[in-house]
Amino acid sequence: MRSRPISRRAVLRGMLVGGVSVTVPLPRLAGMLNGNGTAYAQGAPLPVRFGTWFFGNGIIPDRWVPSSTGQADAWQLSEQLEPLAQVKPWLSVLTGLSIKVPNNSPHASHPCAALTGAQTGPGQVQSASIDQLIAPAISGDTAFPSGIHAALSNQTGATALGLAISYRGPNAANPPTYSPTALYQQLLGFTSDGTSRPVDPALLYRQSVLDAVAEDANALRQRLGAQDQLRLDHHLDGLHELQGRITRLAMPLSTGPLPNPDQLYPARGADGLISRERGQAFADLLVFALASDLSRVFSYMFTCAASHGDYADCGLANSSFHEDYGHRLSKSGLSAATRGFNTGVKYAMSNLADLLTKMKSVPDGNGTLLDNSCVYITSCTSESQTHSGNDYPLLVAGKAGGRLRSDQHVRLLDENVSKVPFTLLNALGGPTETFGRAEGSVSSGIAELLA
Amino acid sequence: MRHSRNFGFGAIIIASVFGGLSVTCGSHQNQQQAELSPVANDGAAPMPGDTASDTPEDEASAAGTASADGSAPTTGLVLPGGDLPAPTLHRLTRSELTHSLQDLLGADVPIGQLEPDVSINGFSSIGASSVEVSPAGIDLHEQAVLAATGYVFADEARVQAQFGCTPASPSDSACSSRIVTQFGRRAFRRPLTEAEVARFTGLATSIGSADGSRLLTGVRYALAAILESPSFVYRVELGVPSAEDAGRLKYTGFEMASRLAGIFWDSVPDDTLLDAADAGALATPEGVRAQAERLIADSKAERSLVVFTRELFGTSHLDEAQKDDALFPTWRESLKDAMREELERRVLDMVFARKGDFLSLLDDRKTFVNDDLAQFYGLPVSGEPGFHAAEFPPESRRAGLLGAGAVLAGHALPQRNSPTARGKFVSEMLLCRSIPPPPNNVPPLPPQAGPEVTMRERLAVHRQSPVCAGCHSMMDPIGFGMEDFDSVGLYRTLEGTSPVDASGVLEGPGLDGTTFSGLAELGAALRRQPVVGPCLVSKLYSEVLGRRALQLDRSAIEQLAARFSDSQHRLDQLLLTLVTSDSFRFAEPKG
Repeated sequence: MRSRPISRRAVLRGMLVGGVSVTVPLPRLAGMLNGNGTAYAQGAPLPVRFGTWFFGNGIIPDRWVPSSTGQADAWQLSEQLEPLAQVKPWLSVLTGLSIKVPNNSPHASHPCAALTGAQTGPGQVQSASIDQLIAPAISGDTAFPSGIHAALSNQTGATALGLAISYRGPNAANPPTYSPTALYQQLLGFTSDGTSRPVDPALLYRQSVLDAVAEDANALRQRLGAQDQLRLDHHLDGLHELQGRITRLAMPLSTGPLPNPDQLYPARGADGLISRERGQAFADLLVFALASDLSRVFSYMFTCAASHGDYADCGLANSSFHEDYGHRLSKSGLSAATRGFNTGVKYAMSNLADLLTKMKSVPDGNGTLLDNSCVYITSCTSESQTHSGNDYPLLVAGKAGGRLRSDQHVRLLDENVSKVPFTLLNALGGPTETFGRAEGSVSSGIAELLA
Repeated sequence: MRHSRNFGFGAIIIASVFGGLSVTCGSHQNQQQAELSPVANDGAAPMPGDTASDTPEDEASAAGTASADGSAPTTGLVLPGGDLPAPTLHRLTRSELTHSLQDLLGADVPIGQLEPDVSINGFSSIGASSVEVSPAGIDLHEQAVLAATGYVFADEARVQAQFGCTPASPSDSACSSRIVTQFGRRAFRRPLTEAEVARFTGLATSIGSADGSRLLTGVRYALAAILESPSFVYRVELGVPSAEDAGRLKYTGFEMASRLAGIFWDSVPDDTLLDAADAGALATPEGVRAQAERLIADSKAERSLVVFTRELFGTSHLDEAQKDDALFPTWRESLKDAMREELERRVLDMVFARKGDFLSLLDDRKTFVNDDLAQFYGLPVSGEPGFHAAEFPPESRRAGLLGAGAVLAGHALPQRNSPTARGKFVSEMLLCRSIPPPPNNVPPLPPQAGPEVTMRERLAVHRQSPVCAGCHSMMDPIGFGMEDFDSVGLYRTLEGTSPVDASGVLEGPGLDGTTFSGLAELGAALRRQPVVGPCLVSKLYSEVLGRRALQLDRSAIEQLAARFSDSQHRLDQLLLTLVTSDSFRFAEPKG
């Protein structure tokens, strides 16, 4: 039987009795740090953040792979990476690696391997994705221990992984939200302008409700077979997380104003539409959540694997990006289709740059949020027409609080793509012996990625 | 134009009729094998099905069953092998949640965002058998429940109307207790245990008596707790061993109530159904039939058929379709809703109003349109809002559900048709053929020569390449037969500057090799194929049972298919027969 958070309810009840709220200041005010700004004054290390950023339909390797390898001045951004110029010093470009699992299902096998180290199984994904493997090690007591999951485009793809890139395990996706407004509303309750306000009694009622719900879950669990018991256990985990969030709603953070998408980007377009402004709205909110330590984990799906999405925002209107550009089937002919595909890849990278640039601009500890983060970027294929798994698109952005080296292009011909998430898992999640399964399994990483 | 079958894939296709194998297109392991001469793959060693759900062991058992009989399945229906899965919790789909909340709290209750369904083999009910709830999903569900209960309990008049009493003072425990008990019985699809009654009424009391609160609020949160409980969120249908059935797992009376309400009403049972369960009436096929007939006669039965129609015809493709407004100036986004409703109304009309031959929907001309859609199709407008019945004239080339805008516009691309996509839909959903994913390292199609090159000509290379021919020969020749209708579902005689060639052929396992020209002839030809009826039965079977139809279901499906055929393809009768059958009442089939 799972233990219930009695202490949390007692805390809430105590607040209600007192009739006034407790506002917790942002934990990362300078005064709370040690002299070097590298740890809290009490000695605890600053939190590191991790995110996955995914774009569908792959790349043109000739235009993605930088022409020279090395660090700092020894390498330059390629054409398709040029939009990331402002964050080059935080970027590691890994090229030459290959997906080793068989490509049984194009646009599914490969992204599944890049994200989980394993082949797709009968129920799609067999294993947890890298963000969910890292989350338990770094999330601590944040409001969103499983992370915040958002996506720009809600259009599906061909023979693909579905509309999620974060998985807690088989049959256990973290479906993203497409709505910046909904995310804003959800985060709003955790923020405060610093003035006291009475605790909403509904928070206590909701906790009591969830206690009763957990009793039901525990009673039901006893009747179930092993697979269903696991489903209920995970359901209970979700209830537990929600109770944690509700407790935090009673203790809002004193923050700056939460960026309101409807004020800042009113013309951004409907939820699910591919637009730069929608991406920026999400970037604002994700950065806010990470900076105020509401979450240390996120996943962002720009477009899904093999996305049919319409890239009208960069001039490729009335098209299916996967068919017309990824597979060069546009009625306008091969040259136009190739140009369009290239435009689309660069457009995706511009969207990524928006997020990373915002992370770079937020002070965090002794540096910036990007200094203290690690973002893993990948796609569902390499060369899009052939569904190739060779020379796979892989980027790592951020320095993860000094754990990662950056500003480099490293080329590792035919090495297993799994080595990248393996390296990140070890750097952020603590020592791990292996990552992945079968052909996707590795037990060593990429030394150049580590500081 | 008859497509010639060669290269040894023919042998594999024939083998699959007897072996129940899914045909695959070439190796998936590496490009080397894919480049072998197809004659070397002469079918002697069947290639494993690429759909990851079919293990090599499954293939062997499927082959074994058929050859042990010494006879080929007469229907040509292909079913995968595999073991019967144990019964699992069925997570309510979004549609079931919506309808349950409406039935429990009132039709006008607001329904917030809900966690998306997972579709397996096209059906969310199959995904529901294994999908988990994510942490974000727990959040969304709580928010939706709070919004729905908050709406009702914000107004005492609504509470009175919905529950028949209004809990007033804290001493008014009779009303609150009654609400909780009756609500809980419907929401959990079974009577609450004493412990559960105590849990939820206790919650109502403790919240109701908190400072600044009142009993109404307490009851509201008690109902919220019921609706957030897994006993509501999942349908718990596990079966118990039945002594008089050799210990086979049989669904209990209340589990049958849950199943019947889920299948017919996409919702929770009503009190009458629960009373029947309580009285033991759902233990026999006759008792089940009596309740099923009552449920299917209720207008709520339309809900499930709407879900089945949308999933069978893949209207989610229509929902996200983009169309080039320069190429298709009459297209509007609002047509999507109209087209979806047209499709649903045609099916509902045939099943519930006309009680007619479901397969006649493949070539009949009766439809339902609003004026926007009528104008789009070139039918007379009525001048009235809403939908009205209409008929495509005899000379129209549009007939049957394949001619519905939802099908044509949904299975197409923004600027042009995709005969492969339309052919894939027909192959998978109407002919029950399993089309594996494309092999890896597909070489690019040759660059388009110019606007005078038709899609048919561009796709010809699929069937010249041995790697691609096996699967594309199942899809493209069917899709070509719909080339007389464009990407937004309008009739056309020209594709660019070339005259449309809409000839096609129905060939392969279970098909009679008919050639046809155009959509209307395709519909008529499909209707005559022996596999179409059994395929529909197996789709409905898998959707109702929440799992894939397997080889071990063959005998049950063929019996249902025979009765379906004998009853002139009455779908309502098929549903009634299905829910009274062994497959639906037991979690384990007869030996």
